[in-house]
Amino acid sequence: MIEAIGLTKRYGAKTAVDGVSFTVAPGKVTGFLGPNGAGKSTTMRMVVGLDRPTGGTVTVNGRPYAQHRSPLREVGALLDAKAVHTGRSAYNHLLAMAATHGVATSRVTEVIEMTGLEPVARKRVGGFSLGMGQRLGIASALLGDPRTLILDEPVNGLDPEGVLWVRNLVRYLAGEGRTVFLSSHLMSEMALTADHIIVIGRGRIIADAPVSDIVGRASGTTVRVRSPHATRLVELLSGPGITVTSSEPSSLEITGTTAQAIGETAASAQLVLHELTPVVSSLEDAYMSLTQDSVEYHSTTTGLHPHHLGAHAATTTPEGLAR
Amino acid sequence: MSTTTLSPTGSPAGPAVDPTADDVRLTFGRVVASEWIKFRSLRSTVWTLGITFVLMVGSSLLMAAGTVGTDGGIGLPGASIITFGYYFGQLAMAVLAVLVISGEYGTGMIRSTFAAVPTRLPALAAKAIVLAVTAFVVSMVSILVSWLVTYRMLEPLGLAADLTDPETIRVVLGAGLYITAIALFAFALGALLRHTAAALATVFGLLLVVETVFMALPQAFFRNVSPFLPGTAGQRVMLPEEVLEMTDPGAIGPVLGPWEGYAVLVAWVVVLLATAAVLLRRRDA
Repeated sequence: MIEAIGLTKRYGAKTAVDGVSFTVAPGKVTGFLGPNGAGKSTTMRMVVGLDRPTGGTVTVNGRPYAQHRSPLREVGALLDAKAVHTGRSAYNHLLAMAATHGVATSRVTEVIEMTGLEPVARKRVGGFSLGMGQRLGIASALLGDPRTLILDEPVNGLDPEGVLWVRNLVRYLAGEGRTVFLSSHLMSEMALTADHIIVIGRGRIIADAPVSDIVGRASGTTVRVRSPHATRLVELLSGPGITVTSSEPSSLEITGTTAQAIGETAASAQLVLHELTPVVSSLEDAYMSLTQDSVEYHSTTTGLHPHHLGAHAATTTPEGLAR
Repeated sequence: MSTTTLSPTGSPAGPAVDPTADDVRLTFGRVVASEWIKFRSLRSTVWTLGITFVLMVGSSLLMAAGTVGTDGGIGLPGASIITFGYYFGQLAMAVLAVLVISGEYGTGMIRSTFAAVPTRLPALAAKAIVLAVTAFVVSMVSILVSWLVTYRMLEPLGLAADLTDPETIRVVLGAGLYITAIALFAFALGALLRHTAAALATVFGLLLVVETVFMALPQAFFRNVSPFLPGTAGQRVMLPEEVLEMTDPGAIGPVLGPWEGYAVLVAWVVVLLATAAVLLRRRDA
């Protein structure tokens, strides 16, 4: 259980995390989403006391992390795959980490086997690939058999097999009743892994809800219509709260009304429809629409004309920003 | 990446850590053990300690060989000949001392260290202990080996150091204590500056340039400050009586006794370490 209340972090004049409050509950996987620079990593670092909050508090299982007698038993954190001395072997790194808490050497061997590091365990970390470094970070996080896991971008640099492994691992750990808090910019991955999602943008919480709610919130509001009488249909439908975008002359994306209403309007005017589809947005779309305003660094999308900038074109903007 | 052995049915917790076990927790002794593992598992440790040993023994051998060629020695007592390598030894040891902490900042390791020891100060103290003990042991071993390998050269000249003589013991022990204190001094600067190059430039700049210049300048200000600089003050504990009697009467500034001088160096170390400790708690890792 992680509880943050009014957590704030400022670096000089820049506010990285702006009074966020949230709870990460045990027994499920909680995803932490947001564009780059939104404050995800800073928030996670404050949970384990690496960054000092400018304001607010955060506790793990009822206490600030540093006040626990056995910190590595409480929280296993992967905050940065590069938090390892490059001149030391993976085995010695884990051995030193384990020694601080009197964790048995057999456990070191165990996490090495679990994360598939045996072939490289005696090699110096400096030569590791991103994926190997990530596996070592996960091994370190699991070392103390912690009740809470905090994983910042755990699948970053992993091959498809590794991604699947992390997904199964966190689902399994949450199933055991542990608290799992992970960030990822891979939305499709999050849809498969997380039960609950906290969305952060520009240091503030934008959404904090079960995955199904987040998808539902952005679904069913857009209807795709194809009709040879598109222009006539737009005239009939125009009204307050209804917006129509068009990517080609006969195709419309209508928001603010329902498929039922559009169908009835078309029928009464005897207009032919070739398509009438409520657009069920994916988690990806939901995330994009939530964070659209909070992307800190907008990339300019060149080569696209404004009338082509439908919902799909808009998704390229934060995608391009993703690490 | 050939094996990915976690099966969702097998326990990632495993049997090694019993959730009810009370003995898996943070203690200071364990943090020291962890720092020792870290210390010995880096090549830079082996290299710098090896270089320290070679430089210290090598310098003494050269000095002893040079003394043999002269008639009745060159006025340096035996204790000074076997501790002659301290000058290079302190530099090699300072490099190791800085790396112990700045290497963690440079690689990001410090975040793993502080995640495991979130109160942070035990980690700093444990590093200092591991470093101090190693620095003392390695410099004392180097001096004793220097004594052994130069004994046959110096004995005929009547310059072989008598290791039971209180004055010789003070000089030999003083050299080990001096190098240990310089190591801690460099370590504290590494913790303060968190950057290898910056910390090394500061330590070397102070010991090799600033102190020498201060000692040479005639103005009263420099004469009064020079004896209290860390290297100049600390070295007095390893200067034999003959040398002190030779240099002190001509001194214009304050004259510190051997242990007074060492106390001044220790004061520098304490102040720097305390400052580093305060900042360590405050700063983001």
